[in-house]
Amino acid sequence: MEATIGPYQLLIGFLLLGIVLGAAPLIIPRLISPRYSGAKTDETYECGVDTIGSSWIRFSVSFYLFALIFVAFEVDVLYLFPIAVVYDQGFEWRDLVEVTMFLGILTLGIFYAWRRGVFEWR
Amino acid sequence: MSVTFEQLLGSPLLALLAGVAAVMGLLTVNALFLIYAERKVSARMQFRLGPTEVGFAGTLQTVADMLKLISKQIISPKHIDKPLYHLAPLVVFAPVIASTALFPFSEAWSIVDVNIGLVLVFAFGGIGIIGIFMGGWGSNNKYALLGAMRSVAQNISYEIPLLLSALSVVLMTQSMNLREITVAQGEAGFWFILVQPVAAVIYLIAAVAETNRAPFDIPEAESELIAGFHTEYSGMGFAMFFFAEYSNMLIVSMVGTVLFLGGWSGPGPAVLGPIWFLAKTYSIIFMMMWFRWTFPRLRFDQLMSFAWAIMIPVSIANLIATAVVLKVV
Repeated sequence: MEATIGPYQLLIGFLLLGIVLGAAPLIIPRLISPRYSGAKTDETYECGVDTIGSSWIRFSVSFYLFALIFVAFEVDVLYLFPIAVVYDQGFEWRDLVEVTMFLGILTLGIFYAWRRGVFEWR
Repeated sequence: MSVTFEQLLGSPLLALLAGVAAVMGLLTVNALFLIYAERKVSARMQFRLGPTEVGFAGTLQTVADMLKLISKQIISPKHIDKPLYHLAPLVVFAPVIASTALFPFSEAWSIVDVNIGLVLVFAFGGIGIIGIFMGGWGSNNKYALLGAMRSVAQNISYEIPLLLSALSVVLMTQSMNLREITVAQGEAGFWFILVQPVAAVIYLIAAVAETNRAPFDIPEAESELIAGFHTEYSGMGFAMFFFAEYSNMLIVSMVGTVLFLGGWSGPGPAVLGPIWFLAKTYSIIFMMMWFRWTFPRLRFDQLMSFAWAIMIPVSIANLIATAVVLKVV
């Protein structure tokens, strides 16, 4: 076999074909579906009453702080995966101590957010 | 080593097409079956009958629903952000295809076998969240925007306990390859749910939250948000979100099967592997349906503080305990 395809190239192929396969059912109905258009057909749905303004306005998202903590945590957790793969392979106690320290500092982040009242609804 | 489609068919392009066809077949049958099962299970739990008219015992009901959805007019509202609105269903749909391809259905049956399979599955799950937000924001609908905001907040919060509980298993197997994790359970002689019960419970709760299902279905709470982020999608646009949702249920359950229930392993010859794999997967899905009719919906702040104040500390403690036990034993 001369031409081979690696697993990651295959996955990219899956993603591209997934887009094509996803686009097909969105296009086919445009050919066969009815095309009715009334005065209010294209209006934004708001329980039947006239739409009041755009929804692209500034409003307070009470849980935006979660998003900030999430970024820190997600990156930290991703750093843990490489450690997990080589864990307990001839490091004596060093890897355990380091993982514990890492997770300890991670946990401090939660305590900090807790004390700052992030988890309380305002 | 497993036989790949490429070795079987002799051409990379054919291998890709065969793989996509297999995945699409599985996901389509899964979606048709799960929608029917969902309606039947919910009906039986409420002493109703569910669909009975179309086909034998209503089995063709979902097919009829799908035909109806195809023939529906696609309405795109006036005030939308066009690129975001039209791309959102695709962004939700495509990663589902790719991540389903990563699972080992038996020792020899896996379409794509990579050594970071577990992380890739979660990464593709993350792309789906972006699609949900694109749909919610692009719709320029207040309900859709609020639903999308809730969905993103909930998904990122429960992503961390999900990863941490998976990490406890990776710590034991020292591999992120889904096939090797399954093999490790065969070599150990027990399923990891026996040694990692805490991680298994955390995984199950987080998985239910990740798929936006009751009792964590706040993003689509129909009594307050109509349909959440896909309010403005009609016909097949709506169907794509639904398809991706049921496929995601399958994916998180398959991950759960691989991590905690021993994947394809079971009594009988190796040929039965895929059957055991699917049987375990659908047992998890049945539990998720069961939850829906057992627990009331959580309030949003309860849901968020449950993730951060209970789930994450417990999963971190479980991770440290796993690390200590691995050192001592």
